[in-house]
Amino acid sequence: MKVTISLTVNGAQIRRDVEPRTSLADFLREELRLTATHLGCEHGVCGACTVMVDGAPARACIALAVSLDGAEIRTVEGFAEDAAMGVIKEAFHQEHGLQCGFCTPGMLISARDLIARHPEADDVGIRRAMSGNLCRCTGYQGIVRSIKSAARQLSSQGKQP
Amino acid sequence: MSAASAPIDGDNRQGIGSSPRRNEDRRFLDGKGEYVADIRVPGMSEAVFLRSPIAHGRIRSVEVPPEHQGKVFFAADIAFAKPIVAASAAPNFQRSDYPPLAVDKVRFVGDIVAICIAPTRAEAEDIAQACVIDFEELPPIWDIDVALAPDAPLIHDHWTNNLYVETRIETGDIEAARKSAPVTVRKSLRMGRHAGVSLECRGVVAHYDRRLDELVIYSSTQFPHVIRSILAECLGVSEGKLRVIAPDVGGGFGIKNNFNPEELAIAALSLKLGQPLRWIEDRREHLIASPHAREHRYELTAYADQSGRVLALDAVVVVDAGAYSVWPWTASMEAGMSAGIMTGPYDIPIYRGVARTVCTNKSPMGPYRGVGRSGACFAIETLIDEVARSVGRDPIDVRIENMVRPESMPYRSATHKLYDSGDYPECARRTAEAIDVAAIRKRQTEVSPDGRLIGLGMASYTEQTAHGTAEWVARGLPVVFGYEPALARFTPDGKLVLFVGIQNHGQGLETTLAQVANQELAIPVADVIVRHGDSSVSPYGMGTFASRSMTMAGGAVSAACAQLAEKIRRIGAHLLQAPRDEVHLADGRVHFGTQSVAFKDVCQAAFLHPERLPEGEDPALEVNAVYQPGRSTGAFSYATHACVVAVDPGTGHTEILDYVVCHDCGTMVNPMIVEAQVVGGVAQGLGTALYEEIPYDENGQPLASTFLDYMIPGATEVPDVRVLHMETPSPHTRFGIKGMGEGGAIAPPAAVLNAVNDALRSLNAAVTETPVTPERILDAIASSAGQRVSA
Repeated sequence: MKVTISLTVNGAQIRRDVEPRTSLADFLREELRLTATHLGCEHGVCGACTVMVDGAPARACIALAVSLDGAEIRTVEGFAEDAAMGVIKEAFHQEHGLQCGFCTPGMLISARDLIARHPEADDVGIRRAMSGNLCRCTGYQGIVRSIKSAARQLSSQGKQP
Repeated sequence: MSAASAPIDGDNRQGIGSSPRRNEDRRFLDGKGEYVADIRVPGMSEAVFLRSPIAHGRIRSVEVPPEHQGKVFFAADIAFAKPIVAASAAPNFQRSDYPPLAVDKVRFVGDIVAICIAPTRAEAEDIAQACVIDFEELPPIWDIDVALAPDAPLIHDHWTNNLYVETRIETGDIEAARKSAPVTVRKSLRMGRHAGVSLECRGVVAHYDRRLDELVIYSSTQFPHVIRSILAECLGVSEGKLRVIAPDVGGGFGIKNNFNPEELAIAALSLKLGQPLRWIEDRREHLIASPHAREHRYELTAYADQSGRVLALDAVVVVDAGAYSVWPWTASMEAGMSAGIMTGPYDIPIYRGVARTVCTNKSPMGPYRGVGRSGACFAIETLIDEVARSVGRDPIDVRIENMVRPESMPYRSATHKLYDSGDYPECARRTAEAIDVAAIRKRQTEVSPDGRLIGLGMASYTEQTAHGTAEWVARGLPVVFGYEPALARFTPDGKLVLFVGIQNHGQGLETTLAQVANQELAIPVADVIVRHGDSSVSPYGMGTFASRSMTMAGGAVSAACAQLAEKIRRIGAHLLQAPRDEVHLADGRVHFGTQSVAFKDVCQAAFLHPERLPEGEDPALEVNAVYQPGRSTGAFSYATHACVVAVDPGTGHTEILDYVVCHDCGTMVNPMIVEAQVVGGVAQGLGTALYEEIPYDENGQPLASTFLDYMIPGATEVPDVRVLHMETPSPHTRFGIKGMGEGGAIAPPAAVLNAVNDALRSLNAAVTETPVTPERILDAIASSAGQRVSA
C-alpha cells in the first residue's frame, strides 16, 4: 500500500505516493528520473549512491523514501550551480580523478562534504574519509589529488562549501 | 627517438606525448553519463532471472503460483534461440552448449532457470522468490580434484571426463635438462578464484524499433559489433535487423567482454513477446554469476645452474574454468595464455608447459584484466625468488641476469612469442633503484619497534598487446580480432567526428583518439568528437579488450586523418592560391606564409560550395580506414613492479609501505592517462593479491556474494604507486605505441607474495596462495613453527 510523502529534492517541493519498500535511490532514479545517483551494490557499501540528506551524506540505496517525509535531499544534479562543487569538479578534471565515471557522483558528494568539514585534511585523512566510496578504475590516487587540489583552491579563495 | 617526434605539420601541443585533459569528463562530472540502467523505453517491463540455488542438478519441475502465470518464461518459451557454443579449434576440446536458459540441468549456483517480468524490479523479484524449483540434486563438482577424480559424475553428460582440454608446449629437451642441471627447484602455487567487479554491474535493455524493423539491444558491453554478430546467429535473424548499443559503460575489465546468456535471453524474450525488457544485474548476481577470474594451480620445476641461471622450466597450469565455455574466448583461454607466456621476460631456452582446463560447478571463467599473464607472472616470479634463495643470492640479481637482453631483440621465446623491443634488465634496475633496495635490506637487519617484519618483493612481466590476425588464428577462437576501423568525417562547420569500432569505458579514448587526429591534422582536441559503442553508427569493429584499442583504433584514426590532411592541404592551398607544397596545417587552419584559411572554410567548400574546390577534387571530407599492425606477433609492453610490505606476525596483517612500477609501453599517447591506467591496474592486482576471493564449499555454494564478504581495495588499502616510464617504440605499430591497459594488474600478486615471503624468511615460513590473507599468513607461520618443533 502506497504512502504519501512530501520532501524537497534539489530545492523542488515533491509530493508522491511511494511503496514503503522503495529505496531513496530507486525513488530518485525511477520516480524523479534523477539518474546521476548510481547503484553499485544496493547494500550500502560502495558509496556510488551517496546523496545529501538534511545536510549530511547518506547512502540512498539503504534509505527508504517513506522514512524521508519532510527531508531535504540534494543529489549531484542539485549542485549544478554550486560554486564549491564547480571547483571540485574542475579539480577532478584537471587531476584525472575519474575514469569510467560510475563512482564519480558519489565521490563528488563525499568530497564536498569532506572539504566542508575538514578543509585541511592531509592524504591519510582524505583516504580515511573517502574509504566509504569504492572506485574500481583509478586506484584512488587521482581522486586524492583532486580533493587536495580542490580543498587548497577553495581555501585560498575563501570559498568553503 | 620515438616515431612520435618525427617531423609533422602543425601544432603538437595536444598531439601524441602530451596530456590534454579528457573530453569525456564533463558529462560524467555533471552526472549526465548514461549507463544502461539509466535507459528507459516506453512500455518497458523489468526482468529478473530466477537462478539456480544449487550447484548441480536436474530440473524436475518449476511451480509458478497461479497469480504469476504468464509472467515467468522458460527455455521452451525461447526455444528458437540457439545455445551459445564456444569451442576452441584444439583437436581434443570437449564442446558443450551454454543455453540462454537451463534446459534440463543446472550446472552452477546462479545458472539461469527462468525469466520473471513485472512493471518494477521489486515485483519481478517477488515473482522469482515465489517460484519453487524441484531438483534432482546431483553431486556438486566443487573443486578441481573432485572434478578430475576417476569416478567423478559428469557435468556435461556427453563428455568423457570433466576436462575441457589439455594443451602442451614443448621446446628443447627437458629430460636432458632434468638429468644434468645442478640445481632443481620445485614450487606448488595457487591463485584464488575471484570476480571481475566493475562498479557498474552488467545490464541489458531490449526493444523493437517498428519504424526501422530492427531489434535494439542496449548492453553494458565492451564489444557491441561482435555481440551483434553472435546475437544474430543465435536468434536466427539478420545482422541488418539488429542494432547493439553500448552506452556509457561503468567499467569493463574483461567481464563485459563475453557474449552472455543474459544478453541472449533478454533479446530473445523481448523479440518473442514484442515487449521492451530491461535487466539490471545486482551485486550478488554479479559476484556469483558473472564470468569469474583466475583460480589457477601451478606445479613448477626450474632447472638451474649454481649461479641461479635458469636452464629449463617445467610447468603444469590447471585452471578451474567453471561450468561453461564462454564465447568467444573459450574455456581454455586462461590456462592456455598462462602456459603460453610462462617464461615471461626471461631467456629460458628449454620449456615444457601443460595447460589443463577443468570443468566444475562454478560460474564460468572469463577474461579479466591481465588474463592468464597474471598467473604466469605469479608462477615464474615466485619461482625465480626460490631459485635465487636456493643458490644463496639476492633475487634481484638473479632476476636481472636471467632476463632477455636488449641486444637479443627481437627475441623468440620458448613459448613461440616474438618479443619486439625493449630493455628488460634496465627496467628492473630502475625499479630496484627507485625502491632503494639497499635501504630496505638495512632496515630488515634492524629490529622494528612494533614487531612487524619488513619484506621486499619484485616481479617483472612482458605482455603481448596489439597482436594481429595470425596470432588470433593460432589461438583457434571463433572470431579473429585482427584489425580495427575508423571513419573520420568533418562537419561542414569544421569539426571532426571519428566513428570507431572500439568502446570507451574509462580508458580516455574519446581524448586519446582525438590526440591522434591532432597529430595528423593539427586540429584542436576539443574540436574532435569520438563516437563509439553503437553498431549502427560506426564501421564494424572488434571492441576494447586485450590492451588493443589505442594501438589499433589509433592506427586507423591516424591513417584516415592522414588522408584527410592531404585533401585539406590541397583545398586550402587552392583557396589561398598557394602552391600545394608550401602550405602547412596548424591550429585548425591551413597556413601559407602569413595568410591562412580555417578548416571551417575548407569544410564549407568541401560540403556546401563544391564550386570552390580545385579542378577534379571530389566534394566532402570523409575517409574510412582500416588498420592492421605491421606484424601479427604483437607489441610487447613490459614492467617491473617492486613493493615493500610490513607483515605483523601476530595478526597476519600486511601493510604495503611502498610500491614502485617502472614500465615501458612504447610511445605514450597521453602520459597522464597511461600513468592512471598503471595505478588503477595495480589497485586491481592488489585486490587479487590480498583481498578478493570467492571460495566454494563442498556443496558448490559460493561463500562470498556481497561487498561485506567480498573485499575490493578501498582508498585506505591502495598505496600511492610511484610510476617510472621508459619509452621504446614498437617497430610494428603506428607511432610505436604498445598497448598497456591491462599491465598494471599483472604483477601485483607476484610482487606482494614475494614481499610477504621475504618478510617471513626469518620465521622460515612461506605463503603459496593468493589472496595472501591474514589467515594464510598465520597458517604459514604456524606450520613452519610446527616443522621446527617436530624437527
